[in-house]
Amino acid sequence: MDYIMMLLPPMIKGWTVTLQLFFLTLCVALPIGIAMGIARVSRLKPLKWFMEFYVWIFRGTPLLLQLLFVYFGLMTVGLRMERFNAAALAFVLNYSAYLAEIFRSGIQSIEKGQYEAADVLGLTRFQTMTKIVLPQVFKRVLPPIGNEVINLVKDSALIYVLAISELLRVAKNAVMRDETFIPFIVAAVFYLFMTAVFQQFFKWLETKYNYYH
Amino acid sequence: MYMVQALDIYKKFDELEVLKGVSLQVEKGQVIAIIGPSGSGKSTFLRCLNRLETIDSGTIEIEGEIMVQNGPGGKAVYRSEDTIFRLRQKMGMVFQNFNLFPHKSVLDNLILAPVMVNKVEPARAKETARVLLEKVGLSEKANNFPFELSGGQQQRVAIARALAMNPDIMCFDEPTSALDPELTGEVLQVMKGLAVENMTMIVVTHEIGFAREVADQVIFMDDGIIIEQGSAEDVIVNPQHERTIAFLSKVLMAR
Ligand SMILES: Nc1ncnc2c1ncn2[C@@H]1O[C@H](COP(=O)(O)OP(=O)(O)OP(=O)(O)O)[C@@H](O)[C@H]1O
Ligand SMILES: [Mg+2]
Repeated sequence: MDYIMMLLPPMIKGWTVTLQLFFLTLCVALPIGIAMGIARVSRLKPLKWFMEFYVWIFRGTPLLLQLLFVYFGLMTVGLRMERFNAAALAFVLNYSAYLAEIFRSGIQSIEKGQYEAADVLGLTRFQTMTKIVLPQVFKRVLPPIGNEVINLVKDSALIYVLAISELLRVAKNAVMRDETFIPFIVAAVFYLFMTAVFQQFFKWLETKYNYYH
Repeated sequence: MYMVQALDIYKKFDELEVLKGVSLQVEKGQVIAIIGPSGSGKSTFLRCLNRLETIDSGTIEIEGEIMVQNGPGGKAVYRSEDTIFRLRQKMGMVFQNFNLFPHKSVLDNLILAPVMVNKVEPARAKETARVLLEKVGLSEKANNFPFELSGGQQQRVAIARALAMNPDIMCFDEPTSALDPELTGEVLQVMKGLAVENMTMIVVTHEIGFAREVADQVIFMDDGIIIEQGSAEDVIVNPQHERTIAFLSKVLMAR
């Protein structure tokens, strides 16, 4: 017990780094994902193709590779970034692609009749998107977004490879130093705590959206 | 001046010719019923009138103003978006599947477009909406959501929603076809009420009884053309064309 109490301060410090990456990624990738999801169903063909290409690249290659590329790869051409910034950039790029795909399928799941009803009432395309389509999309994409959020919690451990002192690295260093697996257990509890909280949060959101079908 | 005048409308979907020279003139206060077999182009024609579909050639005038006419090459040329918008605002549309906004309450469905498009004060829009709900017999459902209503109630809300934009012409595309038979009556009743108030109406319908009772003019379409057109008495009671006769006997047998 004393050992765990001793472990906690450094682990909480690592955890705040993990949380920073988590919230930064979510807050930036979510709006970008919505915008890109709309762009993917755009009538502007080049924009649509570019987004398809983007999604293909970032969903088709490992996040780990993207992480290493942004930090070490770009360094070889003289683009040197802070480790954390490089990690955040790679995460935003990657998660935007996944979220864009979720929003695209959400937008395409809205019945044609909704657009037509809005159209004959005289709503502009922008009003139709913001007042009619997106509010319904948000409800439909909540479950897949919830999954991505859980994935993001776990993926955050990948920035370990950039030698950033996040939760997992702190735990691993303690394991090596003290020759005990307890730090790994503590780290697991931290992750489980986070995933449980977000799971509950999304459950709550879904019930909040249950006022209509 | 006609409320709606369509002349020689042609429309293809890819290679499929759906409208092959359809013309229609609607006078103020008239109720037009369009009947005909499935796939004959009734919906497409109605949807062309308010540009939910674009035509390939022909002329459409709304209240004397041209929305689209043939250019020098014989192809349909539409007026500016502003003009089209203005003309479309004169028409209300009711769909087979209601297409209510499921995330909005009944009242919000009714005030959405008046507030957003016509910039009506929300309080005034609500007043108007309540009057319209009263008219379609749904005053007590103002705060319900569409999923809480029966199909017939949803369609009556959809009619009220279209009326909230104060249209001069109401278009209906098979407004009762998605309803259980016992629910069609309440919707037809509301439509009859509109007809009595002299609303100009164009109704695509399979309800021959309704067409006979309410329509000033019945149009029988088949295979992209108008086969027969005239008073309900002429077209439904004394059809001349054999395709009309065959269609009517089939529809009336099915009841
Ligand atoms: N968007 C579309 N793209 C391609 N073909 C279409 C489209 N809409 C309709 N069609 C075709 O055009 C023809 C006429 O369709 P339309 O919906 O106008 O018929 P309808 O008379 O309304 O039939 P119903 O009584 O079944 O509603 C049909 O063959 C239909 O398959
Ligand atoms: Mg139809």
